[in-house]
Amino acid sequence: MKTGKITSLETLLDVRTNLIQHRELGRPVVMVCAGTGCMACGCQDVAAEMEQAVAQAGLADTVEIKQTGCQGPCERGPLVVIQPEGIFYQKVGPADVKQIVEQTLQKNHLVDRLLYKDADTGQPVVKVQDIPFFGKQMRLISADIARIDPTSLNDYLAIGGYEALGQVLSRWSPTEVIHEIKRSGLRGRGGGGFPTGRKWDTCRRAEGEVKYVICNADEGDPGAFMDRSLLEGNPHSVIEGMIIGAYAVGAMQGYVYVRNEYPLAFKNLGIAIKQARQRGLLGENILGSGFDFSLDYSRGGGAFVCGESTALMASLEGKVGEPRAKYIHTVDQGLWNRPSCLNNVETWANVPLIVNMGADAYAAIGTETSKGTKIFALSGKVRNTGLVEVPMGITLREILYDIGGGVSGNKTFKAVQTGGPSGGTLIVEKGEGGAESTLLDLPVDFDELTRAGSMMGSGGMIVMDEDSCMVDVAKYFLSFLQEESCGKCLPCREGLRQMLETITGFTKGLGSVADLVQLEELAEVMIDTCLCQLGGAAPNPILSTMRYFRAEYEAHIQDQHCPAGVCKALVSHAINSSCGGCHVCAKVCPTDSIAGQAKALHSIDQETCVQCGACYQVCPNGSIERVKRGRGAGVQVRAAEAWTRKTEKHRVANA
Amino acid sequence: MSDVTVKINGRSVQVPEGTYVLDVARELGIDIPTLCHYEHMTPYAACRICSVEAGDGNGWTKMVTACNYPVWDGLVIQTDNERAQRDRRVNLELLMSRSARCDVLSQLADSFGIDTPRWGTGTDTCILCGMCVRVCDEVVGAHALAFGERGVTRRVATPFDTQSSECILCGACVSVCPTGHLRFEEAENRQVVHQEMTLAPNSAITLPFRQAVPNVPFIDTDHCIRYNTGGCGVCADVCPKDCIDYDAQDTVVEDKVGAVIMATGFDNFDPTPLQQYGYGRLPNVVTAEEFEMMNNAAGPTDGQVLLENGQPPKSIAILHCVGSRDTNAHEYCSRVCCMYAFKFSHLVREKTDAEVTQLYIDVRSFGKGYEEFYQRVLGEGVNVIRGKAAEVVTASWKARGEGNLLVRCEDTLIGRFREIPVDMVILCTALEARDDAKAFGRKLNISTGADGWFIEAHPKLAPVSTTTDGVFLAGACQGAKDIPDSVAQGGAAAAQALKLLCQKTIMMDGACADITAEVCGGCRICNDLCPYSAITWNEDENVSEINAAQCKACGTCAAACPAGAINARHFSDEQIYAQIEGMLS
Repeated sequence: MKTGKITSLETLLDVRTNLIQHRELGRPVVMVCAGTGCMACGCQDVAAEMEQAVAQAGLADTVEIKQTGCQGPCERGPLVVIQPEGIFYQKVGPADVKQIVEQTLQKNHLVDRLLYKDADTGQPVVKVQDIPFFGKQMRLISADIARIDPTSLNDYLAIGGYEALGQVLSRWSPTEVIHEIKRSGLRGRGGGGFPTGRKWDTCRRAEGEVKYVICNADEGDPGAFMDRSLLEGNPHSVIEGMIIGAYAVGAMQGYVYVRNEYPLAFKNLGIAIKQARQRGLLGENILGSGFDFSLDYSRGGGAFVCGESTALMASLEGKVGEPRAKYIHTVDQGLWNRPSCLNNVETWANVPLIVNMGADAYAAIGTETSKGTKIFALSGKVRNTGLVEVPMGITLREILYDIGGGVSGNKTFKAVQTGGPSGGTLIVEKGEGGAESTLLDLPVDFDELTRAGSMMGSGGMIVMDEDSCMVDVAKYFLSFLQEESCGKCLPCREGLRQMLETITGFTKGLGSVADLVQLEELAEVMIDTCLCQLGGAAPNPILSTMRYFRAEYEAHIQDQHCPAGVCKALVSHAINSSCGGCHVCAKVCPTDSIAGQAKALHSIDQETCVQCGACYQVCPNGSIERVKRGRGAGVQVRAAEAWTRKTEKHRVANA
Repeated sequence: MSDVTVKINGRSVQVPEGTYVLDVARELGIDIPTLCHYEHMTPYAACRICSVEAGDGNGWTKMVTACNYPVWDGLVIQTDNERAQRDRRVNLELLMSRSARCDVLSQLADSFGIDTPRWGTGTDTCILCGMCVRVCDEVVGAHALAFGERGVTRRVATPFDTQSSECILCGACVSVCPTGHLRFEEAENRQVVHQEMTLAPNSAITLPFRQAVPNVPFIDTDHCIRYNTGGCGVCADVCPKDCIDYDAQDTVVEDKVGAVIMATGFDNFDPTPLQQYGYGRLPNVVTAEEFEMMNNAAGPTDGQVLLENGQPPKSIAILHCVGSRDTNAHEYCSRVCCMYAFKFSHLVREKTDAEVTQLYIDVRSFGKGYEEFYQRVLGEGVNVIRGKAAEVVTASWKARGEGNLLVRCEDTLIGRFREIPVDMVILCTALEARDDAKAFGRKLNISTGADGWFIEAHPKLAPVSTTTDGVFLAGACQGAKDIPDSVAQGGAAAAQALKLLCQKTIMMDGACADITAEVCGGCRICNDLCPYSAITWNEDENVSEINAAQCKACGTCAAACPAGAINARHFSDEQIYAQIEGMLS
């Protein structure tokens, strides 16, 4: 029974009941986060150590150890959560494991030093659900990641997996499924926000015997890892969504296109597909419904542009991944010129959820035009980085302060970037002239973000503080896009090059106001004429930063000054009179440009300094200043005078 | 598909739904510039120069590429408004920042009034329109070209940047390249390959030669892409009269004629077996025919005399009697070589600065005006050496400082062995009978001589007739001769044929054979024996019959008939006996 084929909804429910019954209630389960973030911090060693320690303590039969997908707060990995109490341990090293086993598992004591400490009060927080990072979140799709072992189909079945599929296949007609999805208001989570139900409907009506459903798992935006975490942590939810989608549009074959750089997602997806095939959830006559569907998965070649639907399909066909014009839509002529319904990982994962909770309940979440929840990959200069799932319409303030915990270090917020390289950068702290920006209370949904000059994108959210130069940020995203442009269409290939050259000039103090006007014209032409949205949205980083931070551009152009002190060609590092003479800066300086006696004012040789900023990072007193290029010498002279006055005063006082 | 109404620049027009905007515009005579469009390929929409503004007439507008935007009912297109002009102009300037000036870009730039593009002028000769890649892929079907790398470093490449074995050297990519970025390169740096020259246009669909009759092209199936890869088919697309039929086969046409004129011409002697001259082995040793092609103003070198390296020669040797008057090849004199050799000398002196040396056995300038021409050429400073060339060798054997070839000979006038350094050798090859002359002659019952030429009925009395009535000879199939002689003979043969055809009745010789049907046993021995194919077998009557018009009264059949059924008129046994008796009495 355990590995036999599941042939009907009834068998599925039986299997699930069986699985739950065989699990003792109250039996401790140690959940070791094995998401990519924690893996990089060494969670595998922790898991291995845990197995060993539990076995040594003779608890092998009573304690279950699971490696889960990404649980969210990547900043604090490796994470260990002990269920059913939900005890949350952070930054666990292999050396801590023994203590956890002895104290918590055997004696039910807490290991205080591994607990989460509240940022403001410093008080330890025991349970995972009490941590503010999770408090404001609405984890509908991502919660299961923390509850299951992604390589175990039984785990997924035990939490109700594939029940939605069973319900759909046994009770609903394809049009009813589409109707339900339409009513739920689900919009594509890949970036465009196209209504999913409408897409399915068009695909269903498209002419052709053979149709395909495709899952876009080519998540390439820098700083985004939502789809990765879903595929790594709960691949079955995506597969279930795809089967339901295939049933709705009338497809018998599906493909998942996984980004080449996601080996774990590829592996876990492969395992999941194999398991689903073995248990009859993929293949012929699924759950006795007479519906056949097979699913294959393919690996990308490492091109960002393959996240674009037509390029992805070309790549799936074995051709070079280049986009084509979409005047004829892919739902009519897509993969191998057949009707193809392409959605991204998160969209597919939403499907079983909608079936389970009902379209009305789902539509109750979110705003007028954007329903449900959205997963964001929160990164950058916030205290709590990681994967967050929030209801649509939540304000930026809530995400950044309540969930993100505010800016890290003693800095102030400057901007937040959403939507990946094609998205935009929004001012969050101060508007022009110091006015409080209203954007902080911007409800985050598809249309509001677009209106503000950015976009939802697939859900990357990068937070920047005062140390970020907006010209430099625009330059970064432009160079990424230029690197990733396929080069097929002229405006993207050449336009990006010229944009990047112009903006690189800005960061070097070369540029004029005329360049800004020219950039705007170039941006308009690119938006007008680029073949695909990689080029069409490419001017967004420039346009949005120019819209909110025009003064910063003007400072670069007119004053040859980088206010954030990032653009190396425009800054000098200098030491002011608060220097205590600790000599730490001199030790880290890679070019030996810092000289000074112990406990005496240090100085930087501007001739040899490469403006790497290493001294700026290490100075305990904040005595290193980033000043406008050419002013460094002046600062140092003034600092030396002040130092002399200070020491003179000391001498007099001591005497 | 049903027709829809589209408005382009204010003009309403009915077109089938799904037609591309560009096609509709061109139909209306509205010009939209393109760089990557080629009507025989799927639209690619990479250059974006054909961007036009699409709208629904209610305020919604969007820039689309005309080449691949399908029209729908109510579509409003502005091909030339300010936005379209600006987008095209900026894109063109962007392209110019990458690419070097070329005709196609300069023309476009002029039309936009772009003098100095604001982002500078690039150096790349490729504009990445992808025509070559797509023509190879879609039209030719060879798939030998692709784009390498991506983004700004994108370029056209062959697999692994090596000479691709997939390339069928069709040249389609070179011909569609709008900027001249792609071109042919000789693998061995041979600019001119004399042996591969042809007077025909250099294409798989071609005229046999420029003055061909009938002057219609044919498809060279050995080189046509269609017959090699199954792709292309562009000629059928472009032919307005639908004349292209890829399934056409060679057909045999049977016609009944009253006279046949044999004008099958001659072959050129292949000098390869005469290894001493180095033809096919040494560079720049060419035959007279190859040299003549170079001289043709409409020929492969546009009338220039060139060495293999593409340079004009500095000295040329012309070798007479290659294959003629030679016991190892043909013993006869080819009659035309002396004079054309002097014509060559004259042309070389006229076209180049090369020094010319002629090596002859003796000069046969027998025709009207020939001797005068010979004397004139001698006056033009041509060197003549009496002595047949012994061999041609590469000059490296014996360094002489100039020329790459050495011609060795005995100068019989001064009685000395000489070596002449030259950089080109022209072999005046013999005229010889066609190799299929004998087989072909047999079909018409005419015979060939020892050297393969057709034999005329009588050298003086019937020089264009043959032993078969109604078959006449014209030109070099009868023996080596020059153009005036060939034309004269052709006229004579035509007159002979007309004489025959004009007659209402044919006067036959009274002397011919006939068969007495009652006596004929039907053995058919005579059928095969008749040298004039005059005897046929009558199946119904079971007897052989003689066509009196074909019979030449040779008597062979009468002598052979075992039944004595054949009677040779005027030479019956009785008549012969009577003659014998008369002589003896």
